[in-house]
Formats: sequence, structure tokens, C-alpha cells
Amino acid sequence: MRILTLGWELPPRFAGGVGVVADALLRALAARGHALTYLMPHAFELAGPPGVRLLGPSGESSPERASRLVSYASERPPIRVPGEAVPPAGVPLYGHDLLHEVERFAASAVERVAAAGLAFDAIHAHDWTTFRAGLALRRATGKPLVAHVHITELDKSGGTHANPAVFALEREGIAGADCVVAVSRRIARTCSERYGADPARVRVVYNAVDEACDAIAPPLLPRPLVLFLGRVTLQKGPEYFLEAARRVLDVQPDAHFVMAGTGDLLPRMIELASELGIAQRVSFPGFVDRERAVALYSAADVFVMPSVSEPFGIVPLEAMERGVPVIVSRQSGVSELITNALKCDPWEVERMASLIASALRLPALAHALSENGRAEVARYRWPDAAQRIESIYAELARGAP
Amino acid sequence: MPNVCFYFQVHQPYRLRDYGVFDVGRRHDYFDEKLDEAVLRKVAAKCYGPMNALVEELIARTHGRFRVAYSITGTALEQMERWAPDVFESFRRLARTGAVEFLAETYYHSLAFLGSRDEFDEQVELHGAKLEALLGVRPRVFRNTELIFSNALARRAHDLGFAGVLAEGADRVLGWRSPHFVYSAKGAPDLPVLLKSYRLSDDIAFRFGNRGWEGWPLTADKFASWLQRVNGCGEAINLFMDYETFGEHQWAETGIFEFMRALPDAVLAQRDMRFATPSEVIASCEPRGELDVPDFVSWADSERDLSAWLGNAMQNAALRALYALRGDVLASGDARALEDFRRLTTSDHFYYMCTKFFADGDVHKYFSPYESPYEAHIAFMNALSDLSQRVGSAGLRSAA
Repeated sequence: MRILTLGWELPPRFAGGVGVVADALLRALAARGHALTYLMPHAFELAGPPGVRLLGPSGESSPERASRLVSYASERPPIRVPGEAVPPAGVPLYGHDLLHEVERFAASAVERVAAAGLAFDAIHAHDWTTFRAGLALRRATGKPLVAHVHITELDKSGGTHANPAVFALEREGIAGADCVVAVSRRIARTCSERYGADPARVRVVYNAVDEACDAIAPPLLPRPLVLFLGRVTLQKGPEYFLEAARRVLDVQPDAHFVMAGTGDLLPRMIELASELGIAQRVSFPGFVDRERAVALYSAADVFVMPSVSEPFGIVPLEAMERGVPVIVSRQSGVSELITNALKCDPWEVERMASLIASALRLPALAHALSENGRAEVARYRWPDAAQRIESIYAELARGAP
Repeated sequence: MPNVCFYFQVHQPYRLRDYGVFDVGRRHDYFDEKLDEAVLRKVAAKCYGPMNALVEELIARTHGRFRVAYSITGTALEQMERWAPDVFESFRRLARTGAVEFLAETYYHSLAFLGSRDEFDEQVELHGAKLEALLGVRPRVFRNTELIFSNALARRAHDLGFAGVLAEGADRVLGWRSPHFVYSAKGAPDLPVLLKSYRLSDDIAFRFGNRGWEGWPLTADKFASWLQRVNGCGEAINLFMDYETFGEHQWAETGIFEFMRALPDAVLAQRDMRFATPSEVIASCEPRGELDVPDFVSWADSERDLSAWLGNAMQNAALRALYALRGDVLASGDARALEDFRRLTTSDHFYYMCTKFFADGDVHKYFSPYESPYEAHIAFMNALSDLSQRVGSAGLRSAA
């Protein structure tokens, strides 16, 4: 089939999870033989995923235009954006003019696609920034629209101070799409209960994880090692991790904790570790790139994702892929999916600590979680997700649901 | 004359609470009595109560020609005494009919035969004594936990003075032979072995309510005709099953009680068929061959081996750590610690740690009070850790 995909970014120039997922799905769908075009608001100076045609602002991707790449300001945006961390390479992809960019993208999308002479069977829009453009294309071409919801404004704001403009754009896209793809049942529920989606038109397609083909020697870090890897921000529950660490150290004084990541709460967490009296047992390496992340997985004895609210959470799958026993928050999409993991609510600090300590001191348990976890995630590959997406495209093409 | 021999297993464990690492050294109440009480009351209402009443009725109506056997674990007896005394009373009434046999097993429904032969002997003795005190009779026929059986088990049962033993009629044990005869086991020629007829037993216990099954609906007449087919090529049809089949595994809505109500007449109307207890089967049937069972069989899952309890490293580590503690527990002289230790020997704890079908959410998961086998293992090992501290044991360090 011919699919027009809308997105805001692609690895390696990306600010968060959405770009990674979009890229992975594009690759997997291309491998299944679909004719894919990826439309972004800005030019992309690299080649992009194999088998995917990129459409930039002038209608075609072109490396020569790289120097005219629009940098969307360098200040911190007042509006929360998908993927908040700033990649170390520097140029942020979003500016405080984000809503403006969303409108521009929507306004120009139809023209650009027409100028490129593109024909397609369906439109697949990733995340709220592309929904308006998706709706415009749908109106103009009559082709069905898939709105892929990776996270919602309600999740980001804790439901209490959602940005009304963003919420409105999300709602418009979710209500107007022919099919809503949610990355988890929790997101699917939010879509139907808070965004007016018809439940019959909502499908859950869980994110997946690539096979690990790296063989990295573990860094020389003290063991046993308990790992937190993610943005150090409220949503990710970093303070629960440290409070649990303190409790674990009561019964397992030789344990070492690593909080890998950067974010607005990082300074506060460093302070908290001192207040809790555990500063010598906790490391804060800051932002870690892919290679360092993989090295940390290979050194970790336990991985913890104590998120307060997580639409999916691919990182635990990456840990499981590398045989690390994981403890995940029940407030996450991924906890709906995985079975060979320990689960708890992030605020149950003592329980979390008990699970961590148990995984550290019971070798048979750690071994079982490691082996069974690794075997389990082998079933959660991008080709499987792509297959599910593909049947959605086929359903839409037939005029269903 | 084929004997139809029903045996019903009655068991409830003491289930561990969500006993965490920080409970170790702080609290010593490992078991969730509230949960156990709730479960026992529920099962008593849905199953034990109604089925005991039905069995009483059928015995009376057939003037004792309907005869059955039960094996009731010590832990189940204790729980019934506390939380369902009328059910407890009904078992005593059943004993007095003279048409019901009670079997022997380990008091705590444990894997002690695999962990400690001494513990096994003691638990069998405790169970026999309990039955004698409650029902006035010592059991003569033995069944090991979950019908775990081997040549060695048969020898032990023989040496303990039992008149017979039950086992699973597993294909790999029988080969071409039929389960519908009495056998003996290699090394224990004087001990008759009654084998479960698993196809016919499972027709009732597992398939009865399944509308997709080709045998559905199973009526008493239909089943009696299947039993009749054994006439002339078998002498004992052993129908062994969990008592919770009636009302729990097979809900009342399936018609399971009506089926059982009609069954005795349907069977007795067949030529030559009669109901018998295990002792009666042993008395009337000569062993027709010898079984060689060097490796353990059981009635669990399709594998019919030990994998439900000892198939993974967590289960094995737990078993090793548990029995390693026995010496110190006994030496401590602490009766409460011994009671806790023995409750921890119950096979259910290991069953809950099984990862065999975990991904598929199969039958193991349904009956587990834990979210996952991992949680079950954690609670168990933490409880052992606390117990080991209580009895001053250095042993638990090598819990691996």
C-alpha cells in the first residue's frame, strides 16, 4: 500500500520518543513492501530510513538546503513538547512558536503533497503536532486518516493544567480521524473518555524494541547496580527511585544506584540524594547517548522505571532485551504488556524497595526474570507492530471500521 | 465385575501474604488468614457443602451401594474446623455411613518425599493421627501429594504399613497396558497400586462444562455407557479428581451436580458394575502386572511429572533453602516456628512459582493469589529468611 506518514522529526535529530517510534515503524513497514512517504515541517539533511521517501518544505529532501535548516529558536519553549530533553548536539527542534509551526505545517501540507504529485491510500499522523495537517490532507484527498497517539497533553500536565490550545488540537485530530492508534490501553482509554474518540475506532498498537546486536563490555561500575534511565522530570518519578534507594540501602548497604538522564529535576535530585544521606551510593552521569545507555544496561543488576505516568515506556523493553530484571510502574503502558517483570505503583516506596532488594539478593529470581524477560521481548518486535498497523491500513482502505 | 472407584481430593493451603523484605525481622505472621478464611468459606458454600450433602443423599438412596473415598489434608481439616464447622461435621457423618473411605497423605500436602524422608514420615504420621482423632479410623491406603509417585515412593508406603497406594495412570508408565487393572510397583511387590484412569477422570474434572468438547453434554447415562465399555477388559475404573471439580472448576451452572445425582443409578443399572472404595478394589482385584517407575510421575498438567513444582530455578532454590532449615527449626524447640515451617512445606507455594505457562496466563495463574510467580517466590524466600532468623540459623545465606 501507499502511505503518507506525517511526523515532526527523525533520529538522529530528534527530541524524544515519537521520532524513534515513527522511524522504527517506517523501517518495518518499508520492509513489508509498502510505499512510504514521510512528510516533515522542516528539511532533513540525512537520508532517512531506507525505502522511505522524505518530503521537506520545498517538496523534496535535499542535502544542499541543510544550511537553511530552520532552527526553531534556542530558548526553552513555554509549551511542553513531545520529548522534552535537549539532545546534546545542540539545536532544539522546537521553538516557542510551536503552535504557529503546527498551523504552517497544516496550511502547506496539501500543496506540498500535490506539488510532489504524490498518490496514497492512507494518511498516518504521528502525535498532535501533525494532526491538523493530517485532517487538512484528509479533507483535500478523501483518504482515511490514522491519528497515532503517543502521549496526550492530559498525561503531560497531570490532567490539571493542560494547555488549552494543544488539547484542542489533540481533540480535533482524535475525533476527526478514521482510526486512532494508541500506544497502550491507558492512552486508548484517555482517547475515548477524555477526547471523544469512538471506542470502536481506537486500536492499541504497543511499541516494540529492536533486537540487541551490540556486544558492549560493561563499564567498570560498582555492583550490584540499580539503574534508572530516563528524563529526570516529575513524570518519571525520580524522587521515588531515590527514596526507594535509601530503603534498599538499609538492608543491602553494598548496592549502588545510577540515575542516568537529564531534566529539570536533576539538580533537585542531586540535592535529595544528599538529604537522604545516600549521595555516596548514587551516581548522576547526566545525559547518556545510545552507546553509554547500552553499556549501563550491561552493567545493571536491576532496572527500575518508577514513572508516575507513562504512555508506554520502551526503555524497560530495552533493559529486558539485554537480560536485566526490571521493575516497572503500574502507571505505564508497558506494564499492560509485559509479564516477566515486577510491578508496583511508584509511590509505594517500601514495596519498590522490597522488590529491588529481592531481585538483588535472590539469584534464582534474578535469573528467571532475566531469561524469561529476554525471551518475552523477542515477541515484541517492530515487524509485529507494523503488521498490526498494516491491517489497520487495510481495514481503512476497505471502508471499515 | 468392574469396580468404579471415586476418590476426591480435599485440600486448602495456608497462603502467604505479600511478605516483603522489610517484614523480615519485624513480623512473623507469614500467612494471610483473612484470605484463607474467605477462600475456605467460599469453597465450602459452592462445593464442599452441596457436594457432601449430595453424596450423603446418594449413599442413603442406594443403601450404601454408592461408595467413595476422600483424601483430606491436615491443613484443610484445620481450616474447616475453624471456618466451616458444619462441613466438617458432614465429613464425620459421611465417615459414619460406612460407605466412605478416607485416605492417608502428608498432613501439609507437601513435597517432603522430595525434600526430607524424615519429614515425610512425620507428616504422614501426623495426618494419620489427626484422622484417627477426628473420624475414629486410621487410613490404610496412601496417596502422595498430587499423586507424585515412583518405585521409591511405593517402597516407602509399603514400609510404613499401608495396604495400597494411588498413582497417576500416565501413558509413559503404562505403555500399552490399561489403567483399569491393579498393579504393583517394582521393588514393592506386596503393595497394590491403583492407577487413575485419566481420560475418564478428566472427562468429568476438566471437560464436563466445555461446550466445544465432542462429548458435551455429558449425561449420566452416556458416562455410564463409557464405563460399561471397560467391562470385560478391566477390573477397576479409578476416577480420581479434585473435590473442587464440583462447584468450583465446574460451576453449578454446568449441571455437574445433576450429573452426579443421576450417575449412581445409571452405573448400577449397567450390567455387573459396582462402586467400590480403594480398599475394596484392593481386596477384590489381584495385581495384574508390575510397573517400573524410576522417575516421578504426578497428576499435574500434560507432562504428569514434577515440573509444576520443581521445573525452574526459583522453585528448586526455594525447596533447597526450605529443607536446609529443617534441622535448625527442630533443634530450636520452637513449636510456632515448626508449625510455620510445616505450613511452608505445602506444595502450593511451589506451584505458585511455576513459570511454565505464565505468559499464556493458564490454569496456574488463575488459582494463584499472587500477581506473578516472581512475587510468590519473593514472599516465600522472605518468610524463610525471617524463619531462619527466628531459629538462629546461619543456613539461609546460601539461598541460591
